[in-house]
Amino acid sequence: MTDKSEKPEIVGTDCLQAFDHLYAYLNGELKDPKDVAMIEDHLSHCRSCFSRAQIEREINDRLKKSGTEATPPSLQNRLKKLIDNF
Amino acid sequence: MNTGIHRSREVYRVTRRAWPQDNNVTEQDDKKAFFSQSIHDHMASLYSVARRLTRNSADAEDLIAEAVTRAWSSFDSLDDRSHFRPWIFRILHNCYISDYRKKSVRPAETAYDELSTAGDDSEIACLLTKQPDEFLAWWANPEREVINQMLGKDLMAAIENLPESFRMVVVLINVEGLSYDEAAEALGVSPGTIRSRMNRGRTLLQKSLWRHAQDTGLISTYPAMESRS
Repeated sequence: MTDKSEKPEIVGTDCLQAFDHLYAYLNGELKDPKDVAMIEDHLSHCRSCFSRAQIEREINDRLKKSGTEATPPSLQNRLKKLIDNF
Repeated sequence: MNTGIHRSREVYRVTRRAWPQDNNVTEQDDKKAFFSQSIHDHMASLYSVARRLTRNSADAEDLIAEAVTRAWSSFDSLDDRSHFRPWIFRILHNCYISDYRKKSVRPAETAYDELSTAGDDSEIACLLTKQPDEFLAWWANPEREVINQMLGKDLMAAIENLPESFRMVVVLINVEGLSYDEAAEALGVSPGTIRSRMNRGRTLLQKSLWRHAQDTGLISTYPAMESRS
């Protein structure tokens, strides 16, 4: 995916290695500093992967904000009665 | 003296009878109070995950009630109370597998883990090369504006279309905020499997979002495709 030609290479070796670590990196689960350095170096010079990382960050933010629904009162009452009877 | 002896005997009788009972009552009360509070604290997350599993609110409520009942009956198996969250999610998931999934009329989902073959340089390469060119082109040149236009319900709809194993990983980690280790504990798989499912799940999610953007008119035709044709 590096920009070496007009038509970007969709799946380059470096990009695949970066992709393999991308979600762990974005989710804060990449523990090895070498892996972190590798992906940050790749993102700093690969425009396509940088853009992909940006859009994945955006999706992460959206998922966090829109995920949890309000608990229905019927469920709250049901669980309270259930636990009271334990 | 007699009074003193009587008092001592009375104290002895009282303590012999009362102490063990008091301990039991205290322990039981503590256990129930912790359980009740923990369920209350995680109720919204449980409902959110159950909704993503069952795809409707009535079944989600039944599933949670069943999971809470089973959790209470096996509460003593929880060695470390700090692991309550992955523990209760695991019970919820097991209840879904053992009870609700059997009732589902949906066909069995494809085991996407099987997409990976030993000959690939990367399991992701296998998945990527199976995707349509237009999606890959869009992915290589993502239009952030499309994501900005998508509503939360669009994202949730896209998640609900994911195969169950990926849906659970994305929901537990990206929506409910579990760590990879917690998600692994909740689903009874290794952290490596969680990582693999996250990669595949998010890849499929992007594909689903792309299709949704097309279906709803957010993207009519991708510019790169126009130039190709």
